[in-house]
Amino acid sequence: MPYREKTAWLSLIAMAIAFVPYFAITAAHSRPAVPNLRQLALFAVAAMVQMIILGIGHAYLSHGSPEEARTPPDERDAAIMRRSISFAYYILIGGMILVGCVMPFNSSGWTIINAALVMIVLAEIVHYGVVVVSYRRQA
Amino acid sequence: MKRSISNRIRFLRFQNGEMSQAQLGQRIGVTRQTIAAIEAGKYSPSLEAAFRIAEVFHVPLEQVFQWGTKDGFRK
Repeated sequence: MPYREKTAWLSLIAMAIAFVPYFAITAAHSRPAVPNLRQLALFAVAAMVQMIILGIGHAYLSHGSPEEARTPPDERDAAIMRRSISFAYYILIGGMILVGCVMPFNSSGWTIINAALVMIVLAEIVHYGVVVVSYRRQA
Repeated sequence: MKRSISNRIRFLRFQNGEMSQAQLGQRIGVTRQTIAAIEAGKYSPSLEAAFRIAEVFHVPLEQVFQWGTKDGFRK
């Protein structure tokens, strides 16, 4: 498996481990009021868990294949990256229109913030998902 | 009939001292996986990479890549 596919898998796993519990806890104990320090702390924990997993994972992967990790992306890597970013862009822009232009009429506070987070996480999942699929299909 | 880009990189590699995909990749500045994807017809290289491949094998570009039907380019 190419190094860049491994790092895409790592990002997907880190996202799942950090944000699935975050959204599950948020859905179970919904407190839409602002300010909400407990919600903020929960988000900080999720973000830190994600950063720690990514940090350790990248160190482990680059230790396993140092040459590949040092090699700059070639033209196919760049093409895969462009494709994945363009897919994720449409998810993100659609989500931001929903969150910024529609939700303020019927929601408020942390509901809007969490909806924005869902869209960002979704866009990231699509981004890394397209990377993984592209490498799997050798595209 | 559907047309696509075909290539004979694998044949040319073996004709040139059984050059490995990694060696070819190193010489033109791409990874082994990219050479594998080009050989399999899953990825079309840039014009520059195509010229570099032809240069490595000392053949004109059209002897490496051809635009045609899938079965129209053997060996």
